[in-house]
Amino acid sequence: MTQDSPQGAPLLQVENLGVRFAIKRGGLFGEKRYLYAVDDVSFSLKRGETLAIVGESGSGKTTTALAIARLVDAYTGRVRVAEQDVLGIEGEDLRQIRRKVQFIFQDPYSSLNPRQRAEDIVREPLQSLTETSSEDQQKIIDRLFASVGLRPEQKRLFPHQFSGGQRQRIGIARALATQPELIICDEPVSALDVAVQAQILNLLRDLQAEFGLTYLFISHDLGVVQHMCDSIAVMYMGRVVEYTDRRSLFNDPKHPYTTALLSAVPSIDKKRRAEMKRISIHGDPPDPLAPQKGCHFANRCPMATDTCQQSQPALTDKGNGHMVACHLVT
Amino acid sequence: MTDEPIQKARSPFIEAWEMFARNRSAVAGLIILVLISLGAVFGPALYPTDPFDMVWAPFSPPGDAGFIFGTDYLGRDLLAMIINGARVSLIIGLAAAVVSIVIGVTIGALAGFYRGIIEEILMRITEFFQVLPTLLFSMVIVALFGASLPMITLAIGIVSWTAVARITRAEFLRIRELEYVMASRASGTKNAKLMFRIILPNALPPIIVQSALMVGSAILFEAGLSFLGLTDPNVVSWGQIIGSNRQYILDASYTVTIPGLAIFVTVLAISLVGDGLNDALNPKLRSR
Amino acid sequence: MSDPLLKVQNLRIELTTRDDVVPVIDDLSFELAAQESISFVGESGCGKSMTALAIMGLLPEKIGRVASGSIIFDGEDLTQASEDRLREIRGNDISMIFQEPMTSLNPVYTVGEQIAEVLRAHQGLGQQAAWTMAEELLDAVRIPNAKRRVSDYPFQMSGGQRQRVMIAMALACKPKILIADEPTTALDVTVQAQIFDLLNDLRRQTGTSIIMITHDMGAVAEMSERMIVMYAGRGAEIGGVDEIIEKPLHPYTQGLIACVPHILATVSAERERLLEVPGIVPSLREFGKDQCLFASRCPVRTDICLQKRPPIETDPSGHSVACWHGKDAS
Repeated sequence: MTQDSPQGAPLLQVENLGVRFAIKRGGLFGEKRYLYAVDDVSFSLKRGETLAIVGESGSGKTTTALAIARLVDAYTGRVRVAEQDVLGIEGEDLRQIRRKVQFIFQDPYSSLNPRQRAEDIVREPLQSLTETSSEDQQKIIDRLFASVGLRPEQKRLFPHQFSGGQRQRIGIARALATQPELIICDEPVSALDVAVQAQILNLLRDLQAEFGLTYLFISHDLGVVQHMCDSIAVMYMGRVVEYTDRRSLFNDPKHPYTTALLSAVPSIDKKRRAEMKRISIHGDPPDPLAPQKGCHFANRCPMATDTCQQSQPALTDKGNGHMVACHLVT
Repeated sequence: MTDEPIQKARSPFIEAWEMFARNRSAVAGLIILVLISLGAVFGPALYPTDPFDMVWAPFSPPGDAGFIFGTDYLGRDLLAMIINGARVSLIIGLAAAVVSIVIGVTIGALAGFYRGIIEEILMRITEFFQVLPTLLFSMVIVALFGASLPMITLAIGIVSWTAVARITRAEFLRIRELEYVMASRASGTKNAKLMFRIILPNALPPIIVQSALMVGSAILFEAGLSFLGLTDPNVVSWGQIIGSNRQYILDASYTVTIPGLAIFVTVLAISLVGDGLNDALNPKLRSR
Repeated sequence: MSDPLLKVQNLRIELTTRDDVVPVIDDLSFELAAQESISFVGESGCGKSMTALAIMGLLPEKIGRVASGSIIFDGEDLTQASEDRLREIRGNDISMIFQEPMTSLNPVYTVGEQIAEVLRAHQGLGQQAAWTMAEELLDAVRIPNAKRRVSDYPFQMSGGQRQRVMIAMALACKPKILIADEPTTALDVTVQAQIFDLLNDLRRQTGTSIIMITHDMGAVAEMSERMIVMYAGRGAEIGGVDEIIEKPLHPYTQGLIACVPHILATVSAERERLLEVPGIVPSLREFGKDQCLFASRCPVRTDICLQKRPPIETDPSGHSVACWHGKDAS
């Protein structure tokens, strides 16, 4: 992977990001323990490209996204969007950043306020983040409705009067309202029916081509990720285990977890099914409250050695920018 | 483009009303309540007898000499007392409910929205009020600050806001984690707007139901206080009628039964309406 | 070939809604041989789960009923069977696992108690024998340390383990048919792979037939020999899995396969636009009309599709399709 392109710095730069949640036991004065949901995560994303973060539930992929959007607090690390610090700012600066970074949520049923009309939902970021006059707001809303494929007469409807796919279109229109540079898509299609997923994925790609959008794409569905992204970071228990471009990851996965993950995806391709021997990994991820010393994946890894139990592997370049965090990959 | 059928724009209020209208007992309750309210508003003008005047012999049974409900131990017209009492009882009920909603929603919203130390403090205060014996506490307030109508209202409000606070907090805790609240935060919406324009409207349904029921219980509470003699002597309320006639319950039971029935019917109607609201505002029951 | 284990013929199930009576299953016929695995595929609201409930005799009371047709299981027509007989068949001969392993176990009993209860009720085992059997079943569904885990409560188990417990309960009485309604939708891919392997192994060992309900073509390809594509309560296409995936005849099947980005054996640089199936599944009001119900979303629609319901045509290999233009595709 080319780290810094000659054209300039990447749009999004995340360095050593960490998010932890305090777990309190026993009321007001109980002892404090921390759950490290995101641990030492770094990546960067160029303008106009798509980076996918892949992982299973509990891997910290959504928390990473929320921390970048300043919707949960990070306790350490650095996030820069267009050369501007994101984590340490408040007030007017934060408003400016929120204009540049918008979010598309997973569940189109709970991400729209049931008591707001569709157009008011799209208007909300314009009202809160910009000084646009109300006539201009209306023009922007009309344009956005057309861009995401909704009809003008649907502007006055309430969310429950839309289907799941249409609701997600409203969510996309809302995210586009302030002309953001970075859009974080948190599992934007996983709550939708298969046939509707294609509509939304195509829409997202069309909008990217039209407006030059940059996507940070969170998903657990490797098929969708393969279709949408330019580069991929695979997360396991809060850490990035593999980070490289799309073709390297799918054609030449190096981390045992990535390999297992890929082999677990059911495929309609007979050739792939025949070629791919399923590498089954047993059991479940360990308790995140009591992490082990070594590699987090060691207890499920089919090739783990003593080294893996003892020390945590760092994410290092294993050639051509293919970053892997594994002692066994050289 | 989506080729899906487009629905008509309909407000959730209209849908809720349609749901409410389908519940027959709730509609019956609403009709009774409207009739009682009309009676309270226009009754004194239509039936101008002063409830404090001695108009006929004491203990005249209902129907005697044209007095539909008869007269009480001082020979006052019971019908006039019931009509004028309706005003006081309803006003106290409504006002006390408003007081407890204002206190309860504010405390519950702050606790549920900000969490942490604010929540701890506010909820401990709520618990403190919850464990006080309510009747005793309100009697102390009224005894200390005088038995005027506003003071009685305030006393009832102060002892009954805890349930609203708990419901509001629970709703805020639930709704603040929903994605549309997160989406509003990502849109840079300020805390005050988040609390009152985004979360509160969605938290309202159970609060409205609770408030409706609270009007009923406030009327009962006032009746209880009046029965014990803690009442404004310058006005007449249903509870007060019962309280002042209680010695004669064996000789002239109608002097107690009639205002008792008035309270019963009103509170029942309010409960039916509250129940109907519960169904109408519950999105889970919709479109079934 | 001898008589099939399950033979559904011209099944029609009517559902009473507020305004109308609609056929949620409309003239559905299929057969299931012993040891065979068949999958129902389609979007939500197409009648997949309703078919399963009908076979189980668990149609929603008062609202749903079998209007015509027959469900012949082992020579016995289940649509004519008494409630007591159905109860005997459920659990003993046909059992079911559901989508949501979180809510289908009773939280106040240990998993051992729940499995033992099934054994006592249906097999008349004693207390001790049932408990021992429960341990063996947990071991059979590959829950590590079964002897100890048998006295765990559901909340002490992960989602994947709970689904294994559900499978253990369903298999307790060695049913002839196991119905799995989206058994892995709520689970991560690596866990899904474990469950699929488990179901396939159990099928080989016990000879149970499996009816799987899913929306994932990949899962169908991994799990079943034959599939039934359902659309709006009707069978759109029935045939061998490999055959249909290779050469789908119904435009809806073509859409279902092409609208999902699949991971292929080799990921190349170019990404084709996903085929969209526009619109959504028609509402219940449209069900039962004498026309092709897919017509409104179909790319090859002609006048006849709107005028008359297409008949089911079967080619010599047993591949059936209900489409006026089904032959054009081949």
